[in-house]
Amino acid sequence: MSRVVESDVCIIGAGITAAMVAERLAERTSASVTVVEAGGRTASLEERSRTRARMLAYGENPYPNDHIADQTGTGEMYRQMVVGGSGMHWGGAIPRYSPEDFRLRSLYGVGFDWPISFDDLEPYYQEAEERIGAAGEQGPPDCDPRSKPYPMPPLPLSYNLARMREWTDGAGIPFWTQPWARNTRPYRGRNVCQRCDTCAVCPTGAKYTPDFAFDQLLADGRIDLVTRTLVRRLALEPGTDRIAVAQAVDRDSPDEPVEFRAGTFVLAGGHAWSSHLLLLSASNRFPDGLANRAGNVGHYMTGHWYVSGFIDLPMRLYPGIFANNSLLSHRFASPGPLDRYLRHDLRLWESDVGRAPRLRDDDGSLLWGDGIMADWRERTDSGATARIRAYYDVIPDRESRLTLDGAMKNAMGDPMPRIDFRSAQATIDLERHTHDTIQGRFEQLARAAGGSMKSTRSSRLFEHPGGGCRMGDDPATSVVDRWGRTHDHENLFVVGAPTIVSSGCANGTLTFCALSLMSAEEIAKGLATRG
Amino acid sequence: MSETRRSFLKQSVATVAAASVAGCAPGASRDSSDRPESAAGAGSAGASAMPLPGETLRAVAEAVLPAELGDRGRERAVAAFERWSDGLEPVAELAHPYLVPETRYSGPDPRPGWVAQLEGLEKECASRHGVSLSAIDMPVRRELLARPLGQAGPGMGSPANASHVAAALMSHFFASPVATDLCYRRGIGKQQCRGLDGAAAEPAALGDAP
Ligand SMILES: Cc1cc2nc3c(=O)[nH]c(=O)nc-3n(C[C@H](O)[C@H](O)[C@H](O)COP(=O)(O)OP(=O)(O)OC[C@H]3O[C@@H](n4cnc5c(N)ncnc54)[C@H](O)[C@@H]3O)c2cc1C
Repeated sequence: MSRVVESDVCIIGAGITAAMVAERLAERTSASVTVVEAGGRTASLEERSRTRARMLAYGENPYPNDHIADQTGTGEMYRQMVVGGSGMHWGGAIPRYSPEDFRLRSLYGVGFDWPISFDDLEPYYQEAEERIGAAGEQGPPDCDPRSKPYPMPPLPLSYNLARMREWTDGAGIPFWTQPWARNTRPYRGRNVCQRCDTCAVCPTGAKYTPDFAFDQLLADGRIDLVTRTLVRRLALEPGTDRIAVAQAVDRDSPDEPVEFRAGTFVLAGGHAWSSHLLLLSASNRFPDGLANRAGNVGHYMTGHWYVSGFIDLPMRLYPGIFANNSLLSHRFASPGPLDRYLRHDLRLWESDVGRAPRLRDDDGSLLWGDGIMADWRERTDSGATARIRAYYDVIPDRESRLTLDGAMKNAMGDPMPRIDFRSAQATIDLERHTHDTIQGRFEQLARAAGGSMKSTRSSRLFEHPGGGCRMGDDPATSVVDRWGRTHDHENLFVVGAPTIVSSGCANGTLTFCALSLMSAEEIAKGLATRG
Repeated sequence: MSETRRSFLKQSVATVAAASVAGCAPGASRDSSDRPESAAGAGSAGASAMPLPGETLRAVAEAVLPAELGDRGRERAVAAFERWSDGLEPVAELAHPYLVPETRYSGPDPRPGWVAQLEGLEKECASRHGVSLSAIDMPVRRELLARPLGQAGPGMGSPANASHVAAALMSHFFASPVATDLCYRRGIGKQQCRGLDGAAAEPAALGDAP
């Protein structure tokens, strides 16, 4: 016998994209909204000072119980399954994608165009920034288009970053402060950033985490939040393509199945679990999984790569003033018509790399207390280190895939996801050029300061991943439409990361949130408005 | 890591060598006596802590921590290390690495090994010199410590992974905000919740006394 929970809208997942949808629906409609989250609650704000201290002292996870032991996969995936999702741990860097990201094929003849433009998304970017609480500085308008100012002034440039900005200004590359989901003034009942420099766990509540939104919605009686309940399958209304029910298991009483019945289902499970659930939900009518008539679910998984390095600078800086603020440039997001294709951002941080205390000197001799201090001082007096990173966009490949892994199952026997990211050949062909050009720009910056490159490395981790349910106007080549509505099921939406077409060269979460708000607007159309 | 393996590691009286082989713990500790919020919270977990022989530890500290700390500064650093050691929880769940869908755990308990090392140092002193470590001249004391530190470095690493208690003590101290301030002779106050106001200013010079 199943327990049945009924509502107008059932949102699966309680991460940041779910929070966006839930908030907007709660404000604009009178619909009943149930949010189902596989994980439980983790450290409350009150507990975060203690868990932060243990993270600093011992490297411990500051969010106990933030994952499910047997619910995991292979490939680039977040471990967090908890109220707030990976948005509990996130750093809160919230740059927008650039207008060019949405028109790669038209502008540069590579990759794909999105079905929407930057201008279509711009109001939702703004709304997401307001809901999250973005603190930012307007960059040069041609590099950083926006219709309204940020809701909050930027985080202050530390002494270190101010010196670094003098240097980059001299190099002729405009840098400005990274926008952050951290308060620079009291905002929506949350505190101001205290520069604790452990943003993975913010003990003051200045960093936005989605649990704040859910707590408020619960306090206002606007949603039901069902935790520790894993949706295992979506099932159709007999004889139609509409979703009737989300079949779930309450992890505290696994023998009693739970059924969520709703008029509209919103899949907000993030980049891995959304495609996974659709594939798991195969039926006679949809033998390859839901929303998968054209066979696109799990394809075009995407993320960006980076080149990073450390620059020796002939200046006196003090690492530790504010390691969690950084400078950002989008100067290289728009290559000229004659340039070979490469789009990347640049970001700069203070760093102590090469200038940290050590037990042995360059000759390998063991150092003792005073010797360690003298060696350390010599290396910090003689200069400073800057960390530099360039995220560049990777053209997604159709065979960049999430599949069900029969070899890895959870305790209930469900196959777990396996993600084999792959870039398109275009990116491989450009890789030497990409690396050399970015390295050249790093060196140009280093020279402008009279400094030099200490080291450079390339990473092929697919960062800020998305895809698997990409959006498009053509059902043959996409899974959802521009609103996130699946082409195959009129009452099933997929929101945020899974729907992106490509992942730009900037952290993705603000874009995932903006897309989710755009979906929420469409979802609300079918619901009674709030009176 | 399976639950059974985890409980086995938790219970085992593991050697420090095993800890460094397991090598799971991330970056260095940042605890310090001058950081109330971390000192207060961080030392509360390791219920089964095995106290380190205090006198020997202090004799080691004299040899491996900077003399410019002075007696008071050194005592504070040792006390902070002891608190940190008391609060250490072996095989604890570590912060998840970015985009890695696995759970990672810290290594087994290094403290039994550290206690044995400190006791061993005393035994060696007694048999070779007929006195305790604290009574031995600094060059000889360092000579005694240099041998077990043979494999250590060049970087500091996490104190919990240190192959020798002397290396753990040094890692712990040099990762602290106190040490950073001392190195730069400025009040940087790394990782202390400091408010946004002072961020733009060059950190103030420290007084002469540490
Ligand atoms: C350490 C770290 C730092 C980061 N820093 C940044 C940053 O600075 N800037 C940035 O842009 N991004 C950053 N990110 C990435 C960012 O956190 C994610 O992009 C974002 O939080 C994803 O949100 P989401 O809602 O798409 O998915 P998730 O956060 O993954 O949430 C999805 C939720 O759905 C639940 N769920 C999934 N399937 C089911 C199911 N079948 N039944 C019930 N529940 C289900 C999951 O348990 C999960 O809680 C960072 C991530 C990490 C881990």
